[in-house]
This record gives sequence, structure tokens and C-alpha cells, in this order.
Amino acid sequence: MSAVLDTLLPGDRGAPPLPSASAAGVAAKLEYLVSGRDRALRDLVLQAIASAARSEEAFSRMDAAGRIACVRLVEAEMPGPFRALVAVVLQEYYEAEIVLLAMGWRAEPPQPQGHLLPPFDEALLAPVKRRGRIWRS
Amino acid sequence: MARLDPVDVVVVGAGLGGSAFCARLSEQAPQLRIVCLERGDWVDRSAMPASRRDWQRASLGAWATSPNIRLSADSRSPSADYPIDDSTSPIKPLMWNGVGGSTINWAAHVPRLHPSDFRTRTLDGVGDDWPFSYFDLEPYYDLNDAAMGVAGLAGDPAYPPKRSPRLPPLPIGRMGERAARGFNALGWHWWPSDAAINTVDREGRRACNNGGPCLLGCPSGAKASADIVYWPLAQRNGVTLRTRCVAHQVILQGGRAIGVAYRDQSGTTHEQPAAFTVVACNGIGTARLLLASNVGRGVDGPLGRYLMFHPIAYARGMFDEELDGPRGPVGSCIYSHEFYEHRPGRPFTRGLQLQVTRENALLHQAARIEPAWGAAAQSRLREEFRHSLAVMVVAEDLPEARNRVALGETVAADGLPEVRVEYALSPNSRRILDFGLDRGEEMLREAGAHRVARVPLAPLTGWHLLGTARMGDDPATSVTDGRGRCHAVPNLVVADGSLFPTAGAVNPGATIAALALKIADDLAREVVA
Repeated sequence: MSAVLDTLLPGDRGAPPLPSASAAGVAAKLEYLVSGRDRALRDLVLQAIASAARSEEAFSRMDAAGRIACVRLVEAEMPGPFRALVAVVLQEYYEAEIVLLAMGWRAEPPQPQGHLLPPFDEALLAPVKRRGRIWRS
Repeated sequence: MARLDPVDVVVVGAGLGGSAFCARLSEQAPQLRIVCLERGDWVDRSAMPASRRDWQRASLGAWATSPNIRLSADSRSPSADYPIDDSTSPIKPLMWNGVGGSTINWAAHVPRLHPSDFRTRTLDGVGDDWPFSYFDLEPYYDLNDAAMGVAGLAGDPAYPPKRSPRLPPLPIGRMGERAARGFNALGWHWWPSDAAINTVDREGRRACNNGGPCLLGCPSGAKASADIVYWPLAQRNGVTLRTRCVAHQVILQGGRAIGVAYRDQSGTTHEQPAAFTVVACNGIGTARLLLASNVGRGVDGPLGRYLMFHPIAYARGMFDEELDGPRGPVGSCIYSHEFYEHRPGRPFTRGLQLQVTRENALLHQAARIEPAWGAAAQSRLREEFRHSLAVMVVAEDLPEARNRVALGETVAADGLPEVRVEYALSPNSRRILDFGLDRGEEMLREAGAHRVARVPLAPLTGWHLLGTARMGDDPATSVTDGRGRCHAVPNLVVADGSLFPTAGAVNPGATIAALALKIADDLAREVVA
């Protein structure tokens, strides 16, 4: 499963680096999916990918291009389940603290802390005010 | 069916229209016994997702904007939804079903219509004139502003002077400033949004802390919504609100409405007799209930027809500099009405609003990218997140009889007939969107965007459900008169966005509330007289 997840979300070497899906702990979360529907999706798509690669081991031994080709094949064969699984993976990944921080965001939710923004600078509106009324009576 | 004690007025729907109506009518005619039936429930603010670590996924599930998505989510939504067959509509209807209605998860951007929006037939030869003018509605806009508390700035040259005082405007952030400089460079109009969001502590509600995801509800109550603005007034005035009660029929007898049949949460059916019946269930729910009740001429008449959305397209600019990301109220920043008023010579009739919106949450943006997986998707998200600025093109949809809300053959789980939306984007609306996308891109390039991506038509933007029980003088083309009274059933009143003869190109919340307040006054005057 880790090899599949890292094909979906390989991460990057930016600053700070974005972890792969398995490094972000997504594989562990998918092991313990609460929803029966998501579990069934996961198993269906993973089995199809293994089948496309001939076996799980064969998929793991493939280079990146080979893995992407297998995943694309399954995406084309079963777009609905594949997209649904990708949605679950994205949720787990982009809510992971390590990913949020790597993207320059914060782990805490929006509330109750909120965010600071500078107050509105009305001087920006000077040209609009000079122009005058544009509504029709 | 148990027959309850008669009341003077029964209102169906505790959303913005129903709430404002109940509060105003109970104030103006305190002797009236008023009961409101609401299919949903109160929302528990402490359970709103913006305070949870998994807040991002809520917008894709139980707190999605689409009722159909919420119904298919794993976790149960606090919204009491019904499925809507929107399979053939390029724009999907969005709403919230509960006390407060769609103000629970609205952006609280509350612009007014322009005076010209009330006279499109006279001025521009399209649509229909409203039965009254902007200036007739103006006192009610002011009343709603005062009730909600509107942050903004006086003096917008796109409008007649507004008399109601404004709270200080919301911060527009680096993103808004960047866009403002783009508009200024082109010599175009822009103005900070009118927002029903506290920028100072006011009447027991705190000032906004720029948390951001207003569409997930506002746990602090800084954002006004009908449940916390109008219902305390209505209940103080003695209005009875019955939640989790689904109205399934307006009972008609001898050309008059004699009350409402509804099912409570235990499944028991009741008849609530009333001298006046008021329906305020939004442009889909109102048409559904009235069609199911055989009001007027059914499918041959105007009821359910002339459905208008505000078709929406996006131009998203990518910038080298860091902008704000999803900081600040998502839908309220700045707007331009440079192309709002009709001008001969343009490739379309009527106009558009350019609305600068803030970024969505990281997960939301990741889910939007196509394809959503692989190194390229992650690279693109890196480029966009905290570095993008979106201009939303809001088009005025003209009323067309073929666009409608219709009933299905079978009965849905809530006891009402299934409902579907039949809607096609008109060539005029398409031309407005294309023109607006060009202008949006022009502004973004001027503001320094190194790349601009376009979404030609955003499907999940059908917030504004307008026109399906439109006002007018002619029963052949309208459902109600200018007081919201059904032509066919004089003591049956509509008090929501269904009444709009035309849509303008701005968010309709302020106008829905103003209309409901006016209709309440009209009824109160008659009752008192």
C-alpha cells in the first residue's frame, strides 16, 4: 500500500520538503479506516493495481514510471472507485501536520485562534472616489 | 391527521426569508399568533467544524455546500436535506436546511441590487420590471443592515448613498490590495465588500478574527445568520418555532389556503389551520411545496419556472509573492461593478460583477486540481497555495420559462414529491461569463500574475435560487403580486428569493431579507387596518 500511496503523492524536495504519503503517515491511517465503504474502495483499487502489475511485489519493484503506468491503467478501468480512493488519501495527507507545515500553513484549525490581517487602507480607493457615480437611475 | 388550534399565520421555512418575516410581522402586529414550521433543526455552534483539526474534510462531506453531497457523506449532516435531481443542470443547487437556512453556511456578502435592476424591461428591453423600485425597498435594506450589522464603507459610487451606518470594513489583506492595484491601474471601479460580519464586538456577537472558512458556519457568531439575528427577536415577540417538522401540503379550499399539513419528527401528521399561510423554503423548496399543493395552474403556469442562478466562472491568477491563503472571510473581500450596468455595444445584455474571493483551504484546493494525484499535482498546489488570487465572474441570468423546478413521479423520503432542476445556461449568460473572464484575466495580469487559469463555469455555485414564484402583475407570467400574495390564492404568501422577477448580478441575501421585511409590513398593515 505504501508504494501505491507514494505513487499518488510522492512529495517533493522543496523548501521545506513535502513528505511522501507514507512518510506523512497516510498508510497507517488507511490501515484503520473506519468506514466500511472506504475500506472496500481501498481493497478494490489496491487489488486492481496489484493485478495490473501482476503482483504486489512486482509493483513494489517497479521504477516510478512503471508504477505510474499501472496506476493510470486502473484509473482508466475504474474511474469512480479510483477517484473516491484518491479523495480519501488526499484528506488524510493534507490534514497531516507535517504536510500543513511544509506548505507554510499551521496545524491548528481556523478557530478559535483566527488570523491576523492588516486593517483596510482606504487611501487605495482615491482613484475610484475621484471618478464619481456609475449607477443608473 | 391531528387538527391543531388555528393560528393567524403559519410560516413554512425558518431560513432568511421566513426568519426576517416572522421577526418583523411579530413586531408590527404583536396581536397575531404566528407559528413557523422548519424541516431542520438549530445548529449547534460548538459542533461546527472550524474548531476541529479535521475541519478541512468537513467541506467535502457533512458540511459540503451541496445537499446531494451531504446526503451521500459518511457522517450525518446537521442539515435536514432532501435529494435534488440536478443531473442535467450544469449548475448544482446549494442550500442549508435548518433554522437560519443557507445563512448558516453563507459567505455573508450582502450587496444590494442596483436601482436599474428593478427596471430591466423599461431600461434595457429584457427581463421584467419589479412591481416596485429600489427606493421602495431601500428602507428595508436599511432595516436588515441594522439587524445584521454590516461591515463596509460608505460612498460606493456604484450605488445611491446608503443611509444605514456601516461597521468598519473587513481587512482586504495582501490579496485584496494586489487586486485593488490591478483595478486602479485599469481605471476600473472596485470597493470593499458589504459583509454581514462584525468587525467590532456588537450586540453580544464578537468581532471576526479572520478565521476564514465561513461556509463551514461561524462558531463565534461574528458572521450574522438568521438564527442568531432574527430568531431571538421573533421568539421574544412570541412566535412559535417548531423544528423538524416537514410541511408537505398547503391545504386549499374554495380558492383559499386554510393551513398546512406537516409531519413532525415522530412521524405524526398534523394540520395547522391558519388565516394566512406563508411559504419561504427557497427557490426550490417553495416551488416544490406549492406545486405539490396544486397551487395555480400547475405545470402549465409560471410556478416553478423562470429559475435563475448566478452563473459563475473563475479566473485564478498565480503570483510570485506570498499572498494571504485562506485567511479572512472567504467570500467577502472586494468587488468591481465596472461592468455591472448594461451598456449597448457589448456582446451581451445586462452585466456582471467581478468579485475577488479568498483562497480555499489546502485540501479543498488539492481536490480541485486535475489530475489530483502525482508529482505534477503536488507541484501545482505548491505554486498556487498562498500565491493565488481568484476573481469570480458573477453573471446576471435572465429569466427564461424553460429553466424550472419540476416534480418527479415518486414520493421522496420526506413525504413530498421528488424534485428536479431543469436548467440550461443561456447564450447570453455564456457571453457574459466569457467577457468577464477576459476582464478578470486582464486585471490579474495587470496586478502581476505570472499565470492565469480559468474555470469557464463552476458547477458547485448554485447558491442563489431565484425566480420560481416570481412577482408581477400578470398571472400568466407571475405567481404573486408585489406583496408576495399568490394571484390564485390571495391569502397564500411567498417570502423568499423565489419572488425575484430578475436576478441582478450580486448575492441576493440582502434583497431576500429586505423583501421578507417589506412583505411582513404589507401584511401587518392589512391586518391592523
